[in-house]
Amino acid sequence: MAGSSVGEGAPGESTERYRPPSGRSKLIIIVVALLVVTNVVTGLTAFYLAQPPVAVTPLCGTGASVRSASVSTSGDIGASGDASPVFTVHFAPPYRTTQATITLIGPWAGSEFDHFKPVLENFTTSTGIPVTYQQMRQEQLQQVLPADFATQTAPGDVIFMTSSFIKANGPQHMIKVNANISDSDFLPGSLDPVKVGSDIYGGVYTGKVKPGFWYRKSFFQAHNLTVPTTYAEFKSLLVTISKIKGIRTPIVSGDSVGWPLSDVTEHFIATYGGASMHRALTNGTKRWTDTDVRAVFADRLVPLLAGGCFSEPLEWNTVALANWWGGLHALYFMGSWITGLVDNATDLGVFSLPPPTGTTTGIVFGGDYFFVPKYTTHQTEALILLKYLASKDGQTIQVKQGGHIATALGVPLSDYPTVDRGVAQLMNGVVILSDLDDTIGGTFQTNFWSQLQLLWVSPNQLDSVLAAIQAKMPAS
Amino acid sequence: MRRLRIEGVTGLLRKLRDRVSGALRGRGSPRARKAGLRIAFFTPALLLIMLFVAYPVLTTIGVSFFDANGRFVGLGNYQQVLGSPDTINLNGFPKPPPYGTLINNAVWIAIHLPLSMFLGLWLALVLREVRGSSWVKTAIFIGMVTPLIIGGIMMLYIYDGSIGVVPRFFDAIGIHSLGVGWLQRPTTLLFGLIFGSVWLWTGFSMIVYSAGLTTIPKEYWEAAKIDGTPTFRTFTQITFPLLKPMTIVVFTMSILYELKIFDLVYGATNPQGGVGGAADVLALQMFREAFVQLPADYGTAAAVATFLSLLTLTATVMTIRYMVKR
Repeated sequence: MAGSSVGEGAPGESTERYRPPSGRSKLIIIVVALLVVTNVVTGLTAFYLAQPPVAVTPLCGTGASVRSASVSTSGDIGASGDASPVFTVHFAPPYRTTQATITLIGPWAGSEFDHFKPVLENFTTSTGIPVTYQQMRQEQLQQVLPADFATQTAPGDVIFMTSSFIKANGPQHMIKVNANISDSDFLPGSLDPVKVGSDIYGGVYTGKVKPGFWYRKSFFQAHNLTVPTTYAEFKSLLVTISKIKGIRTPIVSGDSVGWPLSDVTEHFIATYGGASMHRALTNGTKRWTDTDVRAVFADRLVPLLAGGCFSEPLEWNTVALANWWGGLHALYFMGSWITGLVDNATDLGVFSLPPPTGTTTGIVFGGDYFFVPKYTTHQTEALILLKYLASKDGQTIQVKQGGHIATALGVPLSDYPTVDRGVAQLMNGVVILSDLDDTIGGTFQTNFWSQLQLLWVSPNQLDSVLAAIQAKMPAS
Repeated sequence: MRRLRIEGVTGLLRKLRDRVSGALRGRGSPRARKAGLRIAFFTPALLLIMLFVAYPVLTTIGVSFFDANGRFVGLGNYQQVLGSPDTINLNGFPKPPPYGTLINNAVWIAIHLPLSMFLGLWLALVLREVRGSSWVKTAIFIGMVTPLIIGGIMMLYIYDGSIGVVPRFFDAIGIHSLGVGWLQRPTTLLFGLIFGSVWLWTGFSMIVYSAGLTTIPKEYWEAAKIDGTPTFRTFTQITFPLLKPMTIVVFTMSILYELKIFDLVYGATNPQGGVGGAADVLALQMFREAFVQLPADYGTAAAVATFLSLLTLTATVMTIRYMVKR
């Protein structure tokens, strides 16, 4: 190989007359050979490693979840979430103030922050307290806060964080807020995830509901589809959708690190196992391997996965959203924040899984929680902001922007945009549940996500998946 | 006693100061001046190393002997880590992944090291003295300057079952079992990431070998050509032996990269190593114990860190000693 590029000099000739070989044709051959070799090696290796698809009788069409056709994406998806990893915005009242500036750390950026901005503007105007908003993802905070707490400092005065983190660290590092907010002012159970005994270590802002399957009204109208009222109708709907031309699978599975799949799973548990099973799994009094829990998976979710009714997991806010909105799938299980991600929210409809008669079902509600660290130097101002964010006034401004559901009681339904009003109404008559994996948190959560990703592509591994989930349950 | 000790330390420091200042002013015997200068130049570096390397390393090792509640557990954390199915999970083998972090790191080394090394060497050889090759080399090297976390996110899309170029390629050529999302399946996840990483890392070995090739005098190859030595023999007898220093560098750096791989896997999957934990690696396991676990288990995280450091150190020392001896 090396010798081939040595010059064409004849024996005895001077090395000074050596000319390196050159030529475009050689370069082209090299590039082509490189592409062919790498692709063939990759392909052959992976071919022999690939798992053969599970042989099942597909419920929905041809089991298209393991196949995919050519792509046609819609370009009319709205902006979605974080535009940059960190940004800071300062809010000051429109008059001179001597109040100290406090720092609020929250997860929102981009369009989500635009919807939050009016809330902070109103706060600074009405109280005269300037606020610096700094965006930090909760995954980042999870890494930074323990070190800060160890040195008795905090990066902000009010911090939005997961309820599991607040609960785990509240007694040591957070201010107890029983004197500032009261259970009776919120949806029942909203503050439970941040309580240690009867002590409350955080406030709850608005939240997002994970109500069920979203669809485009125009799609349902065009294909004469109706919202199911029984599980048999739901299955029949999936079969009908799978026969529509251009449909890949009836339901698209959104995924990122695994959490959208956990939301779907929780919805099945809360509907077919009931609110009590969901709560028992959350607090660890029931095992994932129990017969009745397994039955929810084996009888309801697994047949749909094995039958090709769900797509394989696709990146939730780009590929999955675009494919669903573009008509490649008819249904998308997602939280209420989806209303802020699509171009035309008035075309959205949503239905929950039809519950069996006699079961008290629940809807998972993911509240946005926040706390005041003990190490704040502006405790008075921070508690005023905490109280405001948890109040009916603060939350009313937020829900008006769309995509949020209030946890504070007394926010009138008329203040919600139309589509959110529908979501808020779905919560009538059902038990409000805390997000299971957010509440437990820790390595249980990441393991739960990974195991569900596995279940989605290998539904025949149900028992090992449930055992693996149970293995990471924290000791109660 | 305490007073004596303080006086002893003070005396030593005074002596050191006198030596250093004497050396800097050109006083004292040549030997004393030399010693003084050595101390003067050596001390700042030593202090920095003590502060930023030795202290954290020793603290990490120390922490690894305590549990999450601060109780001394001896080697308990190491036992826990090595006995955990997260680290080694071969029960029922042969079976589909996950196999555990230690096995996955070994798979990384077994596949990624030879592929990236020999692909880089091959590229360096074929692109040598070819007009326009600098453009190709630059294109290949772009992978090296891409942050690995971005590389991980790129993998999400490259292997996506719906829009990914790799699944679409296999679907197009009729291999439908690979026309699916690679990162969504435990059997293809790890290999997808390794192949993707080869693409990103090959630029490194290619550049190092290219630099090495420029140091070999052309006369060697010309002499071989004149003697009628076959091309392959020229390579095995002249080119490759003369590239030994480069091979040591590439080999060592690649092993270090493969043992401490984190960001690519984290970017492409999740803190658990993706579907069923099939792509989990030691660095991710360490991260999880320290920053995901509630409450954080720094003892276990430190045990993983120490274990990882030992592996890295052993691999590096053995490689260098072996290569240098030969």
